[in-house]
Amino acid sequence: MRNPIHRTVRLESIDRIRSDYAIISFRSEEMAGLSLPGNFFEVRAMQGLAALPRLFKPISLYNIEGSSIKLMIKSFGIETRKLIHMRPGDSLEVIGPLGNSFEIPERGMIALISGGIGYPPLFYLRKKIPSTCFSTWIHGGKHTEDIFPCDDAWTEDGSAGNKGLATQGLVNLIQNERIDMVCACGPTPMLKAVAEICRRYDIALQVSMEAYMACGVGVCHGCSIPIGKMSNWVYKRVCKDGAVFPGDQVRWELI
Amino acid sequence: MNRLSTQLGKLNLQNPVTVASGTFGTEYSAFYDLNILGAYVSKTITPEPKIGNPPPRLYETQAGMLNSIGLQNPGLNAFINENLPELKAQLSVPIIVSISAESTNLFAMMIRHLEATRMVDAYELNVSCPNVENEGIAFGQDPYVVMRLISELRPLTDKELIVKLSPNVTDIAKIAKAAESGGADSIALINTLFGMALDYQTGKSFIAKGICGYSGPAIKPIALANTWKVSQAVKIPILAMGGIITWQDALEFFYAGASAIALGTANFYNPKAVPDCLEGLNDFLEKHDLDLCDLIGKALIPA
Repeated sequence: MRNPIHRTVRLESIDRIRSDYAIISFRSEEMAGLSLPGNFFEVRAMQGLAALPRLFKPISLYNIEGSSIKLMIKSFGIETRKLIHMRPGDSLEVIGPLGNSFEIPERGMIALISGGIGYPPLFYLRKKIPSTCFSTWIHGGKHTEDIFPCDDAWTEDGSAGNKGLATQGLVNLIQNERIDMVCACGPTPMLKAVAEICRRYDIALQVSMEAYMACGVGVCHGCSIPIGKMSNWVYKRVCKDGAVFPGDQVRWELI
Repeated sequence: MNRLSTQLGKLNLQNPVTVASGTFGTEYSAFYDLNILGAYVSKTITPEPKIGNPPPRLYETQAGMLNSIGLQNPGLNAFINENLPELKAQLSVPIIVSISAESTNLFAMMIRHLEATRMVDAYELNVSCPNVENEGIAFGQDPYVVMRLISELRPLTDKELIVKLSPNVTDIAKIAKAAESGGADSIALINTLFGMALDYQTGKSFIAKGICGYSGPAIKPIALANTWKVSQAVKIPILAMGGIITWQDALEFFYAGASAIALGTANFYNPKAVPDCLEGLNDFLEKHDLDLCDLIGKALIPA
């Protein structure tokens, strides 16, 4: 079992791609060498000496280029806001890589579907999908600010791509092509809908789940979600047992 | 002579830095050798497996965090057959097993089974978890019940019996005295305080069960006051915890009468909280040419 690494690193670059989103990068050969699609990092902007301590925030892996690790962050609360306002050269505290990873098939047709900040894990996954597979990426968001490069974009207000939910794009795709596997990451209501679609059409699904975390390494059980068969489920840790779970194992009715 | 060595009742500890039950696991061996600990404290074990509370279970506040794990654990049998032998193989420092049950008989059953393993160095009786009702806190709020529980368990083991107390009581010193008169070897304090957080826009609780346990820097002054209060009321030693993040925090608790301390939420803020705390304490004692024992209980209260 590979061990996560705890390091203080320098921010190599930051790109504010939208008002609420940034892509940050830092260099770590050892972390980059261990990282797999679906992994995440516990990240925290360095705190002032007098500041009250704050928990790390779990951020999924967006990309690896050489020894540069790239994370895409959306500003939600205090810590993520601090992160998207960092400057190159600032210190960043990082633990990782953490969690399990997507299983990547060797052949077949894969549909990727993401919503909002569910985008980054699928970016690195797609990069690692072998050329023996075909893939289509559907991405959705509330408005144009939430849309990033993909094959089929959907916005709730119609400000970019198709108007409507990305899940409609998935249904369209499934009705037109034979899909062997779906990989999804996004808000829970979207993932629930994706799981229902995959159940209806009998397609294998991997979901990358999001959860509030404290330790990030499997100790505190704070991020647990119900996993297992209908009548025989237990709480499993998103940080250690996930964040990627088989879609039919998540007890969506309880979340 | 090791400046950091300390005595917690029957336990000789190489140093006073332990960890709070439920905030620690062998996962931290990724970051340092766990045998630098004063003692290892397990997650609380219950007689049967416990599924735990529904999510969301966590929320970070301005000066701490809320948790509602609900003592999720694999149960006594799995702990004895799987977890405990692994711990024993990995650790040379004392292993303190935290246990909780719904009745005195069940507490007694757990101790009998754990005694038979010969792998346990001390028991921490968790009678103070705020996130479960029938076990834990219901026990720890009544001095008479605490005394009866300890006196029933005392004959079952020669090992250190530590009673972990809740701050969610009218007078923690009364409960501590009851534990002492029941035969406890030491007192662990404090468990988390009751806490809650709501979304101001919708009124919805950030934690599924509403009321939960509050830990972190915000509770340090409360934990310190309770440590001082209990140290004035009982003769048995205190394992103090509650908002201890740094070595400076730890020193305050030694002055207030703690013989050892535990880091809890600190581990989440800093996965190297234990080695950082140890290094800071050691440097401080060396700089002032002191032994830890010189400081314990030496709080100066002018009035």
